[in-house]
Amino acid sequence: MLGKVLAFERRLVLRSPLFWIVALVFGAIGFGMMASDNVNFGGGIGNVHRNAPLVVINLLAAFSALSMLLVTIFIAGAALRDFELNTAELFFTTPLRKRDYLLGRFGGGFLASLGVLLVAAFGLWLGSKMPWLDQSRLGPTPFGAYLWAFAILIVPNLLFIAAFVFAFATLTRSMLYTYLGVIALFVFNTVASNMTANLDARWIGALLDPFGGDALREITRYWSSEDNNTRLPSLSGLLLGNRALWLALSTFLLVGAFRLFRSDREGVRLFRRKAASAVAETPLASASGSAITLPAVRLQSSVAAQWRQFLHQSWFDTRSVLTGAPFLVLLLLGLLEMFAVLTFSGQIFGTKVLPVTSHMTIVLGAGLNLFLTIVLAVYAGELIWRERSLRVAETTDACAVPNWVPLAAKLVALIGVIVIFCLVSVLFCIGYQLFKGYTNLQPLLYAKIATLAMLPFVLSAALFVFLQTVSENKFFGYLLVVAFLVIKVALPLLGYDHPLYNYGSGPQLRLSDMNGYGHFLWPSLIFRAYWGALAAALLIVAAAFWARGTGMSFGERLRVAKARLGRGRSRIALTAPLLVFVGLGAWIFYNTNVRNTYLSDDTRKEQAADYEKAYRPTKDQTQPRITAIKADVDIYPDDLRAVVRGHYRIENKSATPIAEFHVELDSRIKLDKLEFAPHSVAKADPVHDVTIYKLDTPMAPGAAMDFDFEIEYAQHGFPASGGQTTVVYNGTFFNNGALPQFGYSERRQLSDRNDRRKYGLPDIPRMAPIDDLGARANTYIASDADWIDFETTISTVPDQIALAPGYLQKEWSDNTPDHGPRRYFHYKSDTKILPFVSWLSARWAVKKDSWNGIAIEIYYDPQHAYNVERMIDSTKKSLAYYAKNFSPYQFRQVRILEFPNYAAFAQSFANTIPYSESVGFIADLNDKDDIDYVFYITAHEVAHQWWAHQVIGGNVQGATMLSESLAQYSALMVMEHEYGAGQMRKFLKYELDNYLRQRATERVKEQPLALNENQQYIHYNKASVIFYALKDYIGEDTLNTVLAAFVKAKAFQQPPYTTSYELLDQLRAGTDPKWVPLIDDLFDKITFFDNRVTRATAKKRDDGKYDVTLDLHAEKIYTDGVGHETKGRIDVPIDIGVFARGADGKEAHEKVLLLEKRQIADGDSTITVTVDAEPYEAGIDPYNKLVDRNSGDNRKRVTAN
Amino acid sequence: MLAIRDLSKTYANGVQALRGISLDISHGMFGLLGPNGAGKSTLMRTIATLQDPDSGSIHLDDLDVLADKQAARQTLGYLPQEFGVYPKVTAEVMLDHFAMLKGVVDKKERKALVEALLRQVNLWEKRYYKLGTFSGGMRQRFGIAQALIGAPKLIIVDEPTAGLDPEERNRFLNLLAEVGEKVVVILSTHIVDDVTDLCPRMAIIAQGQLRLVGEPHEAIRSLDGRVWRKTISKDELAASRDELNLLSTRLVAGQPVIHVLSDASPGAGFVAVPPNLEDVYFGELRRAAAPVAQAA
Repeated sequence: MLGKVLAFERRLVLRSPLFWIVALVFGAIGFGMMASDNVNFGGGIGNVHRNAPLVVINLLAAFSALSMLLVTIFIAGAALRDFELNTAELFFTTPLRKRDYLLGRFGGGFLASLGVLLVAAFGLWLGSKMPWLDQSRLGPTPFGAYLWAFAILIVPNLLFIAAFVFAFATLTRSMLYTYLGVIALFVFNTVASNMTANLDARWIGALLDPFGGDALREITRYWSSEDNNTRLPSLSGLLLGNRALWLALSTFLLVGAFRLFRSDREGVRLFRRKAASAVAETPLASASGSAITLPAVRLQSSVAAQWRQFLHQSWFDTRSVLTGAPFLVLLLLGLLEMFAVLTFSGQIFGTKVLPVTSHMTIVLGAGLNLFLTIVLAVYAGELIWRERSLRVAETTDACAVPNWVPLAAKLVALIGVIVIFCLVSVLFCIGYQLFKGYTNLQPLLYAKIATLAMLPFVLSAALFVFLQTVSENKFFGYLLVVAFLVIKVALPLLGYDHPLYNYGSGPQLRLSDMNGYGHFLWPSLIFRAYWGALAAALLIVAAAFWARGTGMSFGERLRVAKARLGRGRSRIALTAPLLVFVGLGAWIFYNTNVRNTYLSDDTRKEQAADYEKAYRPTKDQTQPRITAIKADVDIYPDDLRAVVRGHYRIENKSATPIAEFHVELDSRIKLDKLEFAPHSVAKADPVHDVTIYKLDTPMAPGAAMDFDFEIEYAQHGFPASGGQTTVVYNGTFFNNGALPQFGYSERRQLSDRNDRRKYGLPDIPRMAPIDDLGARANTYIASDADWIDFETTISTVPDQIALAPGYLQKEWSDNTPDHGPRRYFHYKSDTKILPFVSWLSARWAVKKDSWNGIAIEIYYDPQHAYNVERMIDSTKKSLAYYAKNFSPYQFRQVRILEFPNYAAFAQSFANTIPYSESVGFIADLNDKDDIDYVFYITAHEVAHQWWAHQVIGGNVQGATMLSESLAQYSALMVMEHEYGAGQMRKFLKYELDNYLRQRATERVKEQPLALNENQQYIHYNKASVIFYALKDYIGEDTLNTVLAAFVKAKAFQQPPYTTSYELLDQLRAGTDPKWVPLIDDLFDKITFFDNRVTRATAKKRDDGKYDVTLDLHAEKIYTDGVGHETKGRIDVPIDIGVFARGADGKEAHEKVLLLEKRQIADGDSTITVTVDAEPYEAGIDPYNKLVDRNSGDNRKRVTAN
Repeated sequence: MLAIRDLSKTYANGVQALRGISLDISHGMFGLLGPNGAGKSTLMRTIATLQDPDSGSIHLDDLDVLADKQAARQTLGYLPQEFGVYPKVTAEVMLDHFAMLKGVVDKKERKALVEALLRQVNLWEKRYYKLGTFSGGMRQRFGIAQALIGAPKLIIVDEPTAGLDPEERNRFLNLLAEVGEKVVVILSTHIVDDVTDLCPRMAIIAQGQLRLVGEPHEAIRSLDGRVWRKTISKDELAASRDELNLLSTRLVAGQPVIHVLSDASPGAGFVAVPPNLEDVYFGELRRAAAPVAQAA
């Protein structure tokens, strides 16, 4: 019997168009993911093969999570079909056993879902066989990985979702509630993984993820390219736990569903209601034939009457949605999701940000985006099909109400959902702010945020209504909606990122506390209006398609719609918005593609490749060097315009004459005037921003000349991106990169190996080898200057302050005839500085302080005074530490300048540090246990005044070790002295994790620290760990002495510039020779330790002390740039620690019973130490000072012996 | 007066639901009798503007129903075969909603109308109850109430008594009788008694064609003296089906009782009985089926 039922289900599924459509869509997505060079999901980047085992597993894991919706359709459909079709009674009266019936239904849905995923896997495989793929990026087909993914992930996942849906469908007998259950599961999943993003809680998230994705990520977190290409994850530890947990839960749900399943019409009632069943009959009053008399009424059909019908129907529909339990449940789930977003977004090093209103937009934007979209998609279907599924349609369709009324009313109801969602979200945000003690409430800003946030949802709602209206049935409508959402996300990923052809999209609307919505508002609104016009047209088409009456096929409806739209008024109603749509589209195109240049990602890469092909051969051609920059800069914030009248002093520092100047200038910048020695244009290449000028008389060696230019930077109209972030209403910030540059710029080259191959470029080193003396003629930040004189006069509007490096010489105001009142600032540097300068202008508040006669000034947005004192404090302590340990500070001032959150960095120019509003000004430092990253970043940037602005490396490998890594070390020391070693451990844990995680995504090759090629995860994250370990071994004083000597030898040097090897030479010379192997391991090799305690026992001695015996494993591994490993030998002592817990039992307050470096034998060994008190934990390298991929096993609980 | 001319409709799957139907219907109750699938509902829906015929015309007095549907909808009340409601909405709110959709936009008028209608169908006491809790009969009475909104000239009621118990059915038909005094009421049904009890005029439809139009009494009178009854054994049933002009078979206390149409007594044991509408109906159905049976 069961076999028959299953066979019946299989036939039903195989005949269902839905199954084939979904299977084809999944197969096509799988194929596209593998076969398109533009799509990179699953981690197939850099040296990892596109079809590497782990990539295949990741992709299939993503599919299995994606199939939530799919399974819902199949399983819920199978479980509820008999009830929806009213065939239930037929089935239950046949002698079919309940078990067979249920298993059949369940099995059918499950097999259908599995079938779809098989097709998806087939698509993946087929995609990897396509001839156009770069063969060097493909490995052998990992059949084992396919098998692994199905066995470990897909089948259990499908089983779980199926069991979950089945239980829900069986319990509620309602499709809508089943969908709600699925959405709740989805929310649970995201919230759980958000809540456990914290380093220490991740294992919880890994267990709680029903699909095993987090567990998989956790165990493959630090995998190298080599691992990715060759290994299969082992089913153990977290993954095993996760699978076991969810399989058990699946079984429980299934058994529960089978038990609770009842074949009668009522289904299962979760809540017993009071018997409100059939109402008692009352006899008819007058059965005898007195004719009916009713009050006279007027039937109206005027426009006014239609309007009132519309209002009535809108309210009727809106109320039905808003009072329904599903909506309230969804809203609550939405708030839960928002809470997770609110709590965890914007964290840096685990420290939260203050709930400023602009930060709350993240909630209304990112946090709500997906969620409200789901709500709208579901309710669009429910509302449009409501009358028909309840069979009310025949009655209402026979009423004299025009077609547009119900259609428009449904849209209004959806908009009502949006409004309520946004309103509740705003109230929730305000509540959250108040709860956090934040009282700078900005209701007007909220109104603006909420209104702008609603617009895209309204556009989506209109489209969903359209799709459901033209669709043949509700499921097909849902499928169309899902297809649209997939396409919307996929288009930009495939390189089609112009918002002009992606329904509902527009340029990013950026909100900054400093600059508000700035100039981004206007283009965004234009785009909304553009799509709004299309939405209006779609709705009119939908009204024409509106199904009235019964039994019309799509063809008939199409015919009717054509006829309806052909009529005069309808034609105008359709033509008008279409004209607006086309008109606005043309206007947008004119702005984004004519007044501005729009380049797709592919074009941009192609241009970079062409640039390299054309100009790299001239790379070593001698160019003049800038020795002085003098500039008059006029900033017109309101016009988004800046004019620079610049003057370079340039010199031929080489031994050969220079015949041609290779000058580069960003094509968005207009060159108004250029004056230097007599010359002609040898080549103008505006596409690649290059002009070659031929000097009439070549510039002789040693000669100097003036090079004057006048350039204008302005935003014309708006680009597809929405706008530049250089010159803005409040918070202008640009550097000398905007000025003319000499010579070929290696920075513009494509660095991704796969991109390079695609565009026919050979592999070249990312940076010149460390022994390339020629490359050391330049610092790593500029190729056309050494140390320069700098002077500038900046003018801006009267309510802004303008700033640039240098000391303020004079400030004055003037009334200019063309631009009204202006404010002028004249800055000049009295020493030579690095050729790296910036100009800023904004409405700032200023806080002034000083340390030992050095002025400290913080220029901040008046709303952001929160952490200014921390910045001043950090600056003072940094100056003190660096001046004492490295060298005197070379300037008389330090200035920190806040700029808008369009970028999230701080950057050190000479005595001037622009600092983004998002990386410290709004950090929430109220919890003293959190990492004070404001203090840290400030210390890091101040350290750059030494490590970059005094000593700077040549443009070869390892250069950034001398600036970024030493700045990290310096900041760590200032931080350690301020906060103690405990905070350091916390901080370094993040650094270690970041290093290990990001090395897995290396696109070219991991380098040892001393040879790093501007790789951030090495020169920041790994360097923190390395330098801290180095300090720990050789001592802070020894290290600082070496650094001080290094500064003394190399500060303000001329080319050839120094290298990391020169520092390491001094380090080796300045420390005990026993540390030389350690220094080699830390700096010249990629070294991992595998240290762990396998057993820890303690025995109380007669004298009250304890003997602690530790079974240890210590191992050292070297790896090459792509992850091939070789074994090393333990040759340095390693920390051995024994700890007791304090009264509160927290690790943060543990007591160190013993901590000493011991020479440990390579491999397994046993040692015994003696401590004074009862031990709690013991470990090898217990503070994780060494790079260890599994830092969790370094400590172990001590057991009594 | 409703004038239907040459109405034809063929569905996409080839089913000919209406074949050249022409019919004039004046005031009062008009019964449309036919078996399931005869085309009754297609005809009802077409008159109710919910479906377009392939050809033909419908006029209500001077109004061209197919050309000016909005105007027609203002003069028409319709109780569909499967009358659905929003289960969570109360009777009063729902009726108010229907009134609004029909065009009674004036709030006071609507309120008075809703009250009058609910009283008329005796649901006033139940106005705050959710429609999901109504019994079948109450729901059908509610359906009549909504069909009466706006004093329609034409009321179409499609199989309203299917599924009602006898008491509910009686109550409902009484109500319908009151309604049918002033306007055109078309009652479509496959239950012969509905028509017998209520309708001064009727039509029988089968396989998309009109088989008979007229007054029930006249139709019955045409069979006077030609209907014969006999109680037979089950074994005889097959034979009598082949040999006799069988109108109907029904079981009485487990024994088949057959009605036969014949000008003279068909044989021993047959008793002449006064004809009723059911005999007319079955007679027409047999005639309609006969040519097909011969062709097969």
